[in-house]
Amino acid sequence: MLRTTINSLSAHKLRTALSVLGILIGVASVIAMISVGQGATYDIRSRVESLGADLVTVSPAFRVGRAGVASAQITETFTLELADELAKAPAVRDVVPVIQTNGTIKYRDRNLQTTLMGVTPAYPSVVNYPVARGRFFSAQDLENYAKVLVLGSEVAQQLFPDEDPLGKEVVLERAGTRFLFTIIGVMTSKGQLGFGQYDNRIYLPVTTVARRITGDRTVNFYNLRVASTDQVDEAIAQVEFILSRRISNPEDYRVRAQQDIIETVNQNAITMTFLLGGIAAIALLVGGIGIMNILLVSVVERTREIGIRKALGAKRRDILWQFLTESVFVSVLGGVMGLLMGVGAAALIASFSRWPLIVPSYAVFLALGFSLIVGLIFGVYPAARAARLDPVEALRYE
Amino acid sequence: MGELFHLEDVTKVYKMGEVEVRALDGVSFAIQRGEFLAIMGPSGSGKSTVMHLLGCLDRPTSGRMVLDGLDLLKASDNQLAEIRNAKIGFVFQQFNLLPRESALRNVETPAIYAGMKRSERVRRARELLERVGLGDRLFHFPSQLSGGERQRVAIARALMNDPAIVLADEPTGNLDTKTGEEILTLFRNLHKEGRTVVLVTHDRRVAEYASRILHMQDGRILKEERVN
Repeated sequence: MLRTTINSLSAHKLRTALSVLGILIGVASVIAMISVGQGATYDIRSRVESLGADLVTVSPAFRVGRAGVASAQITETFTLELADELAKAPAVRDVVPVIQTNGTIKYRDRNLQTTLMGVTPAYPSVVNYPVARGRFFSAQDLENYAKVLVLGSEVAQQLFPDEDPLGKEVVLERAGTRFLFTIIGVMTSKGQLGFGQYDNRIYLPVTTVARRITGDRTVNFYNLRVASTDQVDEAIAQVEFILSRRISNPEDYRVRAQQDIIETVNQNAITMTFLLGGIAAIALLVGGIGIMNILLVSVVERTREIGIRKALGAKRRDILWQFLTESVFVSVLGGVMGLLMGVGAAALIASFSRWPLIVPSYAVFLALGFSLIVGLIFGVYPAARAARLDPVEALRYE
Repeated sequence: MGELFHLEDVTKVYKMGEVEVRALDGVSFAIQRGEFLAIMGPSGSGKSTVMHLLGCLDRPTSGRMVLDGLDLLKASDNQLAEIRNAKIGFVFQQFNLLPRESALRNVETPAIYAGMKRSERVRRARELLERVGLGDRLFHFPSQLSGGERQRVAIARALMNDPAIVLADEPTGNLDTKTGEEILTLFRNLHKEGRTVVLVTHDRRVAEYASRILHMQDGRILKEERVN
């Protein structure tokens, strides 16, 4: 039976190859898309998780502008002093007020647009982001409004491609004003996060930024480290209580735990994976229609052969199986080849994007099972048509 | 000897749209076991319809048909397929070999549908091809064989499942006279071995190889003739 299948498929090699290609592309894209979705998710999640599950961020919400009042951040109460208030929450270990602004950093003839992060000495431990070389600034630097800064790894690489940045003096320029700073450290590489690019920033004492650069004691947000991972909910409740005494409308600020962000990322990832997989499944469907098309042509072409086989004693079932076997053979062949191609493509994309190659086993079963089902579904109609042919008419067919 | 095939008042009516065509109009005859029978008539006489009915490819509109004790009117499509497989061996004018299969594989095909074991099937197909003089053409494809050789493959295939009856429809129609005579001699030899052979033809010289000729016209049997 298999020999008959191979004989008739090899009689039309190009046609068979094109049918196989249709399924191959479908299955390969399903595998590649799911794998890319999973890999990207894993990548984002591991970076978000690298900040630590016990990180809580307090930020002002945006207020919708109404009757001429422009939407604005509630920053009046978000000050350096509020950080000390928040630190009184028992479930909170550390609070880092963050002032974020933009500026240009210059060293000799090189300059770079960058984000200035005014933070406190607790910052590396709070966001799980250690110094690679040199040191982070101390409590004393904070008190003295010291003009010292720590470079993100990317900034260090671009500004000092072949020099040691430690101890070098650089110029910071913001809004036309220039400041002389000394580099005291370089951070480790953290990689890119969905919402923040740690490596492209520079880190300064928050007091220095507030006093010398922005001249404003309001901060953009607070990073909080919870005393222990299982106290996240408690910490949030305490922080919200402290804030509620100062800000009447709870919609004016947001308290978000890193855990929630991780969950959101996961949710988005699932949606993305299904979306990509769904688009790829359409390709598989199109491949299936291709098989059906070819088989219908093949049934007409082979009407006489079907007549001969029936005269020799083939039952409907025999003819049905013959065509169904061809269709399933083509689709499963395409499925297996598509699986290999899909994994190959996923590996290629993963290596370019530097995330791990993840091919979930369900994707493999899904693709192979799907190709089998496509072969069956799109083979049944042509096969049934062949099986139903009247032997006398089929033998008369020229 | 005894009766192998019995037809009684058989009619066949085709519907061509609104028009009814009476292809067979009350045909009755019997085929004896081991007989060499020719059914003769011009085109449109109904001989092809008789051939299809004898070959169990089709059912009559009315009448009675019994093959080897089996009532063919009551048989389902699947049963007819089984009867064709086990009891009928077809030889066609256009040879009707499977184009993508070798000579050997063509001969094997009826046995594949009968579910015969592969080793036995190949042995028997080989034997039959040797008997019709094609022992050196086992793996040739139909396109690589001459007309006479193709018809020999078809005869070997017809004999594969040891049928009760060999049905040949104008078996020499596409062959030159000399090759045609060789093929007809083969049928005569089959008859001598005790097989039942039915030949459908419009050609008197072909029909005379048989021992009895049924003359058909307009869907009826005109006369019966004994040949010596």
